[in-house]
Amino acid sequence: MAEFGALSSFLVAAVGLAVPLALAALGETVSERAGVINIGLEGSVIWGALGGALGALALGPYGGLAAGALAGGMAALVFAAFAVWLNTDQIITGTAVTIGSLGFTGAVFQSRFGATGLALELPTVPAWEVPLLAQIPVIGPAFFDQAVTAYLAYLLVPVLGWFLFRTRRGLSLRAVGESPEAANSAGVPVVRTRMLAVVFAGLTAGLAGAHLSLVHTGTFAENMSAGKGFIAIAVVVLGRWNPKGVVAAALFFGGAEALQFALQAVDADLPYPLFLALPYVLSLAALAGWFGRSRAPEGLGSAWPRG
Amino acid sequence: MSTRSHALTPALTAATALLATLAVAAALLALGGYPPGDAFAALFRGAFGTWDRFVSFTLVRATPLLLTGLAVALAFKARVWNIGAEGQLHAGALAAVAVAVALPGAPGLLVIPAALLAAAAAGALWASGPAAMKTGMGVGEVITTLLMNFVALFMAQFLVQGPLRESRGVFNQTDEIPPAAHLPDLIPGTRLHLGFLVGLLIAVALWLYLTRTPGGFRLRAVGASPRAAEVSGRFRAQPVVWLAFLASGAVAGLAGGVQVAGVTHRMYEGLSPGWGYTAIAVALLARLNPLAVVVTAIVFGALSAGGGAMQRDAGVPEVWVRGIEALVILAVLTVDRSWQALAGRGSRG
Amino acid sequence: MAGALRLSGVTRRFGPVTALDEVDFALAPGEIHGLLGENGAGKTTLARVAAGILAPDAGQVEIGGEPLGAGGVGGARALGVSMVHQHFSLVPRFTGFENVALFDAAAWTRRGMGSPGYRERVEARAEELGLEVQLDVPVGRMGVVERQRVEILKALMGETRVLLLDEPTAVLAPQEVEGLFAVLRQVARAGAGIVLVAHKLDEVLAAADRVTVLRRGRWVLTGEAAGVSARELAEAMVGAGVDGGGGGVGGGDAGGPGTVGGGGEDVPKSGGMVGEDAPKVGAAGAEQAPEPRAGDDVEVARLRAVTVSTGGPIPLRGVSMEVRRGEILGIAGVGGNGQRTLAAVLAGMRRPDSGEVQLPEEVGWIPQDRSEEGLVNEFTISENVALAVHGSDDYRQGPWLDWASVGETAAALVRDMDVRADSPATPAGVLSGGNQQKVVTGREFLRSGNLLVAESPTRGLDVKATIAVRARIAALARSGERPPGVVLISADLDEILELSDRIAVMVRGRLIPVPREDHNPTAIGERMLSARGDAAP
Repeated sequence: MAEFGALSSFLVAAVGLAVPLALAALGETVSERAGVINIGLEGSVIWGALGGALGALALGPYGGLAAGALAGGMAALVFAAFAVWLNTDQIITGTAVTIGSLGFTGAVFQSRFGATGLALELPTVPAWEVPLLAQIPVIGPAFFDQAVTAYLAYLLVPVLGWFLFRTRRGLSLRAVGESPEAANSAGVPVVRTRMLAVVFAGLTAGLAGAHLSLVHTGTFAENMSAGKGFIAIAVVVLGRWNPKGVVAAALFFGGAEALQFALQAVDADLPYPLFLALPYVLSLAALAGWFGRSRAPEGLGSAWPRG
Repeated sequence: MSTRSHALTPALTAATALLATLAVAAALLALGGYPPGDAFAALFRGAFGTWDRFVSFTLVRATPLLLTGLAVALAFKARVWNIGAEGQLHAGALAAVAVAVALPGAPGLLVIPAALLAAAAAGALWASGPAAMKTGMGVGEVITTLLMNFVALFMAQFLVQGPLRESRGVFNQTDEIPPAAHLPDLIPGTRLHLGFLVGLLIAVALWLYLTRTPGGFRLRAVGASPRAAEVSGRFRAQPVVWLAFLASGAVAGLAGGVQVAGVTHRMYEGLSPGWGYTAIAVALLARLNPLAVVVTAIVFGALSAGGGAMQRDAGVPEVWVRGIEALVILAVLTVDRSWQALAGRGSRG
Repeated sequence: MAGALRLSGVTRRFGPVTALDEVDFALAPGEIHGLLGENGAGKTTLARVAAGILAPDAGQVEIGGEPLGAGGVGGARALGVSMVHQHFSLVPRFTGFENVALFDAAAWTRRGMGSPGYRERVEARAEELGLEVQLDVPVGRMGVVERQRVEILKALMGETRVLLLDEPTAVLAPQEVEGLFAVLRQVARAGAGIVLVAHKLDEVLAAADRVTVLRRGRWVLTGEAAGVSARELAEAMVGAGVDGGGGGVGGGDAGGPGTVGGGGEDVPKSGGMVGEDAPKVGAAGAEQAPEPRAGDDVEVARLRAVTVSTGGPIPLRGVSMEVRRGEILGIAGVGGNGQRTLAAVLAGMRRPDSGEVQLPEEVGWIPQDRSEEGLVNEFTISENVALAVHGSDDYRQGPWLDWASVGETAAALVRDMDVRADSPATPAGVLSGGNQQKVVTGREFLRSGNLLVAESPTRGLDVKATIAVRARIAALARSGERPPGVVLISADLDEILELSDRIAVMVRGRLIPVPREDHNPTAIGERMLSARGDAAP
């Protein structure tokens, strides 16, 4: 089994790294299906990471996950209040929310723990081994010996697929994203639908952030979201606004990131910044390929005034 | 609604937005346990307390914001959402250092223009990928320029750790560029360098271009309505988009070149504390008017210069400045909306 | 017996504009009620308020005796109100079936899956109404007529007490209108009240039992369709001789035929002139065929077997035409049959895939959509004029654009076209639709030394602006020694017949000439249907 060892540990790392991307991107899929592109997703991720850290210190790791999701949802609510409720430009608003979130999480962190640079130690969320399934060679441990966040991501795929494509609310939400005018004349509340969709994406992105601090690292650092929210938005495009595709794209990026660790383990002299750049370069390459030409919801980014 | 109120709106919007920001920031500071009065006083002293604080700190820090702000304003004017000024700035800084280091014996009159041109070219090159993806494949530039920022950051990291690492081999930074490549001082006895003047000249040039030339008119038309520009103006929007994208990248690249040639004299990790993103606030607060960008860049330069003083004298962490920048953007957007609502244009007919 | 729909004292504002001003309206079950008025009179707003899409600022809406309250669209649907919209009410990427289901609570069960047997019920209802609908095709790929059928089917899926139709005939050929009315009569016989919003008098009079006229957001008159003449209605719509607030059917006793353009307090100063011009233009169009001139410059544009098949949904198939100086060539046809592509080819903005094109260097083009294509709304009038002249050497000083000269040209345009604006520095977006169109028309005249392409130049304009714009276009084609040729593309048959010297019909990308003896609605309508290949609803 030794020859499987390297592959198996690579897969474990890949899935673990894919989980936050998948969570954030699945939420953003719902948001974009409702016609809102939230560049502030990065802000929800960093708030999720900080909220997770603070929550875990007070309530333990699972309370931390919940707190992280809530913190991410709050950041998204701020974005939605401007971009949806006030109908301000989505791109600029999202950028502001990201800048502000990186700033204010740093401010909160420093006022709580000081700017000493000492690493914070957090209680972490343990992996749960799924009986039987975890025994499958190679993929078993990769997919079925993960933290609860991974199982949540798995669960979201069929649930969101069913919601978006099989339910009336899902159809209404997609109508809002395709053509807010048509949806409105059908009696679908455009503003409320978009607010809820954005906040949902904030919750999952916050959970993704909490995963970073409570599963992945066990600590919090300023700017630790490191563009995960932005990559998640690219993942949504690559996954063609479809939960199954989105999760596949997230796994692809998780793999790319894991590869970087695996290669460094092989040769420590390899220049690690180039590997850090790899997921971003791959995102761009994939967008430049045929993926980028897939059709976004027609009303994506569209303004919709209240009243 | 009269046309007169239209002319007043930009200045009023900016002023109202700044006031709103101050109010919200004061409330948040108080909430965080910091006396807002002390924080603002320290910030103000740090930015404007003495002539030297103003010139050597506020104006010096305003310089990269001025250039990146102009870059963003130009792009947004053409409705090109270039969020990538940060990456273009890094590309420009690297190119300027590489050229300056490669020309050790050359006189300043040669090496300075060469380094700055290289910086502008590198910035444009860095913008060309997203530009090609936008015009050729219809891939939105928001996400591509964002991703390019990260690629630029890691590329810079890689270069200063490896190929361009200083010959001493102590720190992750490049060698210092030769003294001939240093930008001369603009005001003797201060640290303000020629780069600020370059920024002012570009601001005036862009303003003239946008308001007085046929090319600038086309750019504004494409930004206001690409469809109307093509149908009623009978010109293709795509070349205009290309031009705006590349020019924006070039000016952002120049910001990086000016910073290394004027201030740091070398390239290292973390050269920019996020100027390319702050530039969005700078440009928006100026309502994308190049001349107004001069003013708003100084405002944000003051924030940055005062941030350090605020931390030192009032104990408020400097990261608060980032938060305040975000508040400015949100305030501008909100005040804008409120004006529209007051003018009765917020609702649909 | 309670009425199907009753509005009492309904007021609705949009910012500073009062779209509905204390309007009363009553609809009886089983009647077809025509709702007339000029553009901007408030017809669509009234329908949208009744459908729950817009909440009234004041007043009451009752459906079958029950107040609508703040129930919105859902509340109105629950009370049996449906609306067939003119624009924007179908999701283009969704199939016909999805669009029907989106609006119909009955399509869904609590567990979310499509409710069993629903598909069969949709099919049965379509058959019952005689509507042929392709349920599995995305709406975006359907033609306008098919889309309208989806709209109607969607509106009639539930129990319908009130059916509101907003300008349903605008997209139909004359023969198809009759088919639509047959469906409406069937629905009315089943007991529903129907509101038919329209601005074409004769159509409404043919279908409606009663009519109501709105003007500038106010109720003007209600009467039996059989008891009012088209002329009385026209006057009530325009406001000649009828006092603003009220007045009954008796509006007809004031003012003769001349008053529409010639008198009344609302008519602009130049209105008299326009009114005098208009009949002359008509006469010229009918009697004075373009005089053949000697020399090569008589023909200003020529297309030979032009085919465009890429880059757009509607191709052009072997279109041949020529345009001569001093003539107006009318291109009739239901929108979406390739007229857009033809206009782009004539304006030199689209290179054909095959065929021969000879065009003058500069072409005037009044595009179909003035707010999206004809104007940059946030630009001033001067800047919008600059869209046409910024490339010309006459408006340059060295590298600079000569804004003073542009301003002079814009000021002259404002004067000549009678644009109601403070100055050339007024942003185009704040002008009324009619004044916007005058700016576009005047600007394109600057480019029309040889050829003008006018695409639906009066769509959405009120009567006065329509008269003014038509008169300018007609006058242009008769002006001076070397007048330009004009291609008038319009879905409005009346406009085509009024202005054109020659007429052709555009159907599915082909151009079918109409001989002079067939210059009447019936004969042209037949040609509009000839190649369409799908039956009327």
